[in-house]
Amino acid sequence: MTDRLYPAAWDRDTGPFFTAAREGRLVFCACNACDRGLHVPTPSCRFCGSIDTSWRDARGTGTLYSWTTVTQQAHPAWPVPYTVVIVALDEAPEVRLTGCIPGAPALSAGQPMQVWFEDIGQGRTLPNWRPLQNGDLA
Amino acid sequence: MTAQDYVPFRDRAAVAGIGRTAFSRDSGRSALALATEAARAAISDAGLRPDQIDGLVRCDMDQTTGAAMAGALALPDVQFSADVGVGGGAPCAMIGVAAAAVLSGQARHVLVWRALNGRSEGRLGAAIAPRVVAGGQASYDDFFTPYGLLTAPQSFALLAQRHRTLYGTTDEQFGAVAILCRDNANRTPHAQMNGKPLDMAGYLASRMISTPLRLFDCCLETDGAAAVVVTTTDRARDLAQTPALIRATAQAPAVGSGGGMMFPSITWTDPLALAAGPVAHRLWSRAGLGPQDIDVAQVYDCFTITILLQLEAYGLCAPGESGPFVQSGAVSADGRVPINTDGGNMSGGYIHGLNHLVEAVRQMRGTADVQKSGAETCLVTSGPVGMSSALVLRRDA
Repeated sequence: MTDRLYPAAWDRDTGPFFTAAREGRLVFCACNACDRGLHVPTPSCRFCGSIDTSWRDARGTGTLYSWTTVTQQAHPAWPVPYTVVIVALDEAPEVRLTGCIPGAPALSAGQPMQVWFEDIGQGRTLPNWRPLQNGDLA
Repeated sequence: MTAQDYVPFRDRAAVAGIGRTAFSRDSGRSALALATEAARAAISDAGLRPDQIDGLVRCDMDQTTGAAMAGALALPDVQFSADVGVGGGAPCAMIGVAAAAVLSGQARHVLVWRALNGRSEGRLGAAIAPRVVAGGQASYDDFFTPYGLLTAPQSFALLAQRHRTLYGTTDEQFGAVAILCRDNANRTPHAQMNGKPLDMAGYLASRMISTPLRLFDCCLETDGAAAVVVTTTDRARDLAQTPALIRATAQAPAVGSGGGMMFPSITWTDPLALAAGPVAHRLWSRAGLGPQDIDVAQVYDCFTITILLQLEAYGLCAPGESGPFVQSGAVSADGRVPINTDGGNMSGGYIHGLNHLVEAVRQMRGTADVQKSGAETCLVTSGPVGMSSALVLRRDA
């Protein structure tokens, strides 16, 4: 198995997302002044300029915003087909997070999605997404 | 700053010369050699000598530095040099910086170029930054590449799928974009895809890259270079060619853009407006013109979806209507506003958008191969991610 790509968990602005994932928590960056979610996460708010930003816990549910099924292989660690999904968080739909599903599943815009935590080795965990299934706690 | 501040600068600078190399899959030469050839062609076209070039504007992704270009042309008197970015978003901003230099007394004749061996020396469509550790240092790749979102086609496919979701955009509408660019290339001898006609059956049969984008939704990867010379309109009128007046230029980032390159585009406040929405608003007010005043347009086209989204953002059609708009023939060669008349990045050659400037100047001179009859205004747009830019050229009266 060729090495896949591991997120740089040491970055001061983005690392907390992956540190929380290691603990099984989904978090997102938000502005405490104007209450908007900030993804990609930045140390100040691009809407109001406030430097009062912090990481908030998310419930781990969302809706499918967009997706693409990759059919031409670009990297040895990513055999095709696979499907990249973009999920809008339920509590902050302006935060759209990435996930990946093997194969070419049938998907439809707006369908409920559920986070899960994927241990990818090297001490890294990715928050990942799959369609909400019967039995999931919504 | 308001658009009113810009009014005194409308039409005050001009493109006086244009040049390019052949566009190919393997130039057999360095990017520096390509840059030098295109630069010499543009300088000569303007009726200037290399030693009259005293300003340089380079794309931040170009291999050729300002110092290298000064050496390559043996320029004795370079007084102004600027690097403008980012990448494909830069070309119209590069013209804006060159105009600012000549209008502020910092240079008389500014050379603007872009050169790349985009096919033979490293394919631009391949995976970006295929490092084992992704992200950090404001790249934000950590939120995308570990999930398998690795290439430009995959990133723009997410926008294309969103457009389909909201507006029902069809395969045939994407195909209509690819085919109109190819049709124009087939009437433009220097276009890379000249002699390779494409019809809808051929488009639909091309292999899927990343749904819904097929091979022929993607631009070319090209070895080649393009260059232009910018000076004041007053000086340009004494040179060899009819000047193409720079009516206005504009730059802006996307609303809600936190940084990074193309991958975060799906996270922006309105991903389908890209950075083109804010650029368009500023450009039209600076130019004192609107989409109804535009005769011909060169629209940055890394992918078919990029054209569709910009037709909407620049107001050439209403939001969501770009698919039927292209199918109507409105932007085809004999339509009201022909676009990408040399085939653009899709079928002409991928010189990262500076080729669109060269073609726009040809339209204003009346010398394009697919010439819009009587064209007096041309819109040019640059890559709509990161910090984007656009401009309007006007034929000198």
